Amino acid sequence: MKVCVKLIGGLVHTVGFAEDELHLPAGTTAGALLAGLGIDRPGWVIITRNGQGIALDEAVGEGDRILISPPFSGG
Amino acid sequence: MHGWTGKILRVDLTNRTYRSEPFSEEFAHTWIGGRGFAVKILYDELAPGIDPLGPENKLVVAVGPISGISAPNTGKTVVAAKSPMTGGYGDGNLGTRVTEKLRKAGYDALIVEGRAAQPTLLYIEEDRVEFVPAEEIWGKGTYEANEWIYARYGKGAGVLVIGQGGENLVRYAVVRSMEGRSGGRPGMGAVMGSKLLKAIVVKGSRPIPQALPAEMKVIGRDDLRTVHAMDQKAGWSLQGTTGVLPWCNEVAALPVHNFRRTQHPDAWRVDGQRLAEAKVAVYGCPNCTMQCGIAMLDTEGRESELDYENMGLLGPNLDLFDIREVATLNYLCDDFGLDTMSAGGVLGFYADAIQQGAARGTLRFGDFAGMRDLLTDIAHRRGEVADLLAEGTRRAAAAIGHGSEAYAMHVKGLEISAYNCKFIPGMALAFGVSPIGAHHKESWIISYEITQTPRESYGREKAQKVVDLQRIRGGMFESIVSCRFPWVELGFGLENYPKYYNTITGRDYELEDFWPSADRIYALMKLFWLREYPDTDRRADYPPAVWFDPANADAEGLIAGRHLEYDQYDALLQHYYDIRGYDERGIPTRATLESLELGAEATAAEQFATLT
Repeated sequence: MKVCVKLIGGLVHTVGFAEDELHLPAGTTAGALLAGLGIDRPGWVIITRNGQGIALDEAVGEGDRILISPPFSGG
Repeated sequence: MHGWTGKILRVDLTNRTYRSEPFSEEFAHTWIGGRGFAVKILYDELAPGIDPLGPENKLVVAVGPISGISAPNTGKTVVAAKSPMTGGYGDGNLGTRVTEKLRKAGYDALIVEGRAAQPTLLYIEEDRVEFVPAEEIWGKGTYEANEWIYARYGKGAGVLVIGQGGENLVRYAVVRSMEGRSGGRPGMGAVMGSKLLKAIVVKGSRPIPQALPAEMKVIGRDDLRTVHAMDQKAGWSLQGTTGVLPWCNEVAALPVHNFRRTQHPDAWRVDGQRLAEAKVAVYGCPNCTMQCGIAMLDTEGRESELDYENMGLLGPNLDLFDIREVATLNYLCDDFGLDTMSAGGVLGFYADAIQQGAARGTLRFGDFAGMRDLLTDIAHRRGEVADLLAEGTRRAAAAIGHGSEAYAMHVKGLEISAYNCKFIPGMALAFGVSPIGAHHKESWIISYEITQTPRESYGREKAQKVVDLQRIRGGMFESIVSCRFPWVELGFGLENYPKYYNTITGRDYELEDFWPSADRIYALMKLFWLREYPDTDRRADYPPAVWFDPANADAEGLIAGRHLEYDQYDALLQHYYDIRGYDERGIPTRATLESLELGAEATAAEQFATLT
C-alpha cells in the first residue's frame, strides 16, 4: 500500500527526506513505520494520521497521510 | 534572604526622582517574582479606571529568583502594566540582558511612574539613576536606536527599547531588546511611549544572592550542556518554533485568510523547512543553548528573525505565501516595535471587513505591497484608516460595525495567536480564559488535544489540562521567570525548576508547591479585571463568534463542516470555573480568594464590584 509520510524539523535530517510516498506492507503499524524510518525513540515523536492522533500499535492504511514531528508543545 | 536582592527600584519620570525600596521575605515567598510581583504591585498601586496610556499607569519590569543565573534559558524578564489593549492586567516576557543586569544592579523589579517632560532614556547603574535626553533617537526604529545606545553604553548593557509604534501609542506596541527579542504583547511598548520613555539601559556587577552559589554553578553548567545535547540530538533549533506551521496546516489549525480557513495547499512555502533553507544567522536570548531566532533576508536584503507566530499571522493569515515578503512584514514590525501577532490579526481583519463589505478600502488578501504600506502607516498613525487600526482589532471592529465584530479575532481585546480553533475546543478555551487576552503562552493545550483526546470532546479533562498548563506556564515559569522551551520543546524535566529554585533560595519546594502561588497570581489577574469591568460576565471568556458559526466552517478538508458549539463550549467553560473555584461570571469566589490568602485583595475589590 502507498502511504504519504511528512517529516518536520530535525527529523528531516535524521531520516533524510521532508515528504515522500512510501510503499509499505499491508497492516504496517505506526510503530513499525517509525522503526523502518530509523526513528529510535518512537515515544518521543508526535505522529498523526490524516490530521488525527494515532497510537503506535494502530495500523496505517492505503492513502493515509502520516505526519511525524518532534514533541513540541508550543511557542 | 537568599535568592532575591530584596529591593525594588521605583523611578518617577514626572519628578525625576528615584528610590530603592525593600520588600519582605514574605512578599517574595508569596509572589515569587516576575509576573507575581508585577500583578501584586499593579493591583495595589493602580486605581481602577485609569487611562492605561496616561501618566497614572505604571510600568513594571520584573525578574524572578531563577533569572540571570547561569542555568538553562534564564535570560527572561517580565514587562507589565495595565494593558492599553484589554484594559486589564497585561504583561509579557522577553529575552534580554536586562535580566542579569537588573539583578546585578541590585534589584528584582523596577517600577516606572509618571511621564517625562521630553523623550527620555532611563539609565540605571546600581545606585545611580540618570534621566538622559533621548530626542536624538525619538522617531527612530528599534534597530537604529539600539545602535545608538550600544555606541554609548556598550553592547553588554541591558537594553529595553521601543520603536515608532510605541512612541505613537499604537496599542499593540511591544518592548524590544537585543535586536531580535520582543515582549509585552498587550501594549507594554505603548505604555513606555506614553511616558516618553524611549529606552531603559541597565548595568550592574553585584553578585546575585544565592543560598548555594557553588552548587548552582555546577548544576547550571551541567544542565546547560544537557539541554544543548538534547537540542543537538533532536535538531529542534534547525527550525525552532516554525516547525509547528506545517503541523498546524496538517491538523487544520492554521490561521488562513483572517482565520476563515484552517489549511492551505501553499503553506509549505512559508514553513520551517523553507526558513531553514533560507537561514543566514541564528540568534538567541542570554543563557540559551537551544537558540530559536532564525534569521533570513527579506525582500530588501535585511535580516529578519522569524518564529511560528509571526510566520503564521503575517503569512497565511494574510494569504501571503512568499516567505521573503513575510520576512519583510516581520522586519517592519520588529523595527517599529509592533507585536507581529496583533499586526497580522489587525491587517487580516481589515482585509476581511473590506471583503465582507463592512468597510470601504483597497486592501486585499495577498496584497503584499498594500499590507507593507498600511503597516508602516499604522506605526506612524498616518491617515484615518491606519489611525483606527492602530487601536487594535476590537476597537476597529466596534468603529466599523456592520457585523464585523463577529470576525474580529481577539479575546478580551488581544488578538488571537496563530492557532485556528474553529474545531479545537480545548485550545479555544485556553484562549478564552487567558486573563491577559488571547495569548498562547498561558496554556498551549493543542498538541495534547489533537493527539491524545477526541478532538470533538468538550470533556472536563480538557479544562483540567488548561488549568494544569496555566499553573506550569503562566504560573511557575512566569514567576520564577525562565523560558519554558527546554521543557516544552525538548522534554527537559520540570523537576529541574524546583531544584534551581531551592538551590538559589534555600527553600525546599517540590513542583506542586508552586501551584498555590500560580493560582494566586491567576486569581489576582481576574480581580484586576473585575475591578476594571464590574459588570463582566462569562462572555468575556468566549472566543470570537465566527468560530461557532456554521457558515464559517471549512467547506472541504479535514474538518469540513465542523465548528465550535455554544452549549458545549459553555459547559467546558463551567468545568474550568468549577476546577478553579470561580463563580458563573468567571470570577474567583470569596472562599477561593481566602483560600489563596487574598482576603485583603478581595476586600479591596469589593469597593468596586461584587464577589460571590
